[in-house]
Amino acid sequence: MEILQLIQSNLLTPIILFFLFGIIAARIKSDLKIPEAISEFLPIYLLAAIGLHGGIEMRNTGFENMLIPMLVAIGLSLLFTLNHYQILRRLGKFNIFDSYALASTYGAVGAVTFSVGLSFLKNQGVTSEGYLAAVLAVLEPVAFIMAIFLTNMAVSKQIRQKKESVSKGDTSGLDMGIQETKTKLSQVLHDSVTGKAIVILLGSIVIGYIIGEDGFSSIRIVFDEMFTGAIVIFMIEMGIIAGQRLEDIKKVGVFLTAFAIIMPTFNGIIGVLVATAMGLSLGGAVMFGLLLASASFIAAPAVLRHSIPQAKPSLYITSALGITFPYNIIILLPIMFTISTLVHSGEGSVDLFHYITKGWI
Amino acid sequence: MKLYNVKLLTITCEILAQKNIIEILGKHDITGYTTYEVDGNGARGIRGQGLKTEKNVKVEVIMREEKLQDVVEEISRTLFANFAIVLYVSDVGVVRTEKF
Repeated sequence: MEILQLIQSNLLTPIILFFLFGIIAARIKSDLKIPEAISEFLPIYLLAAIGLHGGIEMRNTGFENMLIPMLVAIGLSLLFTLNHYQILRRLGKFNIFDSYALASTYGAVGAVTFSVGLSFLKNQGVTSEGYLAAVLAVLEPVAFIMAIFLTNMAVSKQIRQKKESVSKGDTSGLDMGIQETKTKLSQVLHDSVTGKAIVILLGSIVIGYIIGEDGFSSIRIVFDEMFTGAIVIFMIEMGIIAGQRLEDIKKVGVFLTAFAIIMPTFNGIIGVLVATAMGLSLGGAVMFGLLLASASFIAAPAVLRHSIPQAKPSLYITSALGITFPYNIIILLPIMFTISTLVHSGEGSVDLFHYITKGWI
Repeated sequence: MKLYNVKLLTITCEILAQKNIIEILGKHDITGYTTYEVDGNGARGIRGQGLKTEKNVKVEVIMREEKLQDVVEEISRTLFANFAIVLYVSDVGVVRTEKF
């Protein structure tokens, strides 16, 4: 009951309403659209604001307690990516390229989802640990790099098998293939680390750390008070793009639709519980869960189109943006918030157990 | 004025294939090209809406006929299968043939 109420009140926040409005605008074929320069600017702005907040918080709390959550997040992200791959490949019968592309899309993080999460917490009057912004930055390339590495391994294994069956002993072509794989990987690593998302995020964290609360007061009006308003404008654009893709959802198929809803729920709830066990606050556990639940739809196409061009972008963009993103911000956020509240209220673990079994019955 | 015959290779493709094309051109020692963002409709539906990474670009390259075969062959072999891409060649005349 509590969850339903929370979902209901979440539905009526400006962020969600403007997202739904964007979908409607696209469905009635309105020519409404956010000017390109603004929709390119907004993610940069959002990441700068996230980074600044994170940096300032880290100045207050120090780095030491950041290390374990960060390593755990990386470990979980890798584990989940492998898990996604197995599910997609074995149960979903997707080909190897689509499986890896989708697995990493869902293993990666969504910065827009993260922003919406922060604003959701603000709405609930809850704060979260600032270092999660740094976790966001580190997590961004991790899932992609592993998926690309594994794809290349699988491809060069196939090439090797072919080579061996054709001509025995001649491995020069194979060496070339492995070399190519290595350069491809270092290229991806370089591209994602120097990509605008990570650069602006890390830069803002450092600047936030340097300026601290005092320096921030002069720019607070832009980077704090305008934050939710900026997300709202970006949500119109996200809604329009999602709305334009609604037809594609049919092509995504039942299996992937279910995957796009069940996996984030599973990953997110595990994230919340693990974060709670590590001692993160109520809001921090929600954001940690959201990091693991979110799928990447802005960074993913740019990275994957280059590194796994064989995968169909219509699958991973549509499922991440058209299904998982709305589900995450409308339904999963309140669910994770409720769970986090439960496990943070004293004898939480027992409560949670009852709660889940109750939900099943 | 004397005009020299060279080839104009025009490639319309999704923006994420642009980097691959320019790499291929580079491999064949072609450094000059022109790109511009375009919209349009084709086998993969209306392009140029929505996300920045789903836009289309048009790449124009002027080159001598000797290089054309290899470049076109490599682009078709590596990119045709996986990317939204259309490619065509036309004859053009230039004044300063030494530039190409």
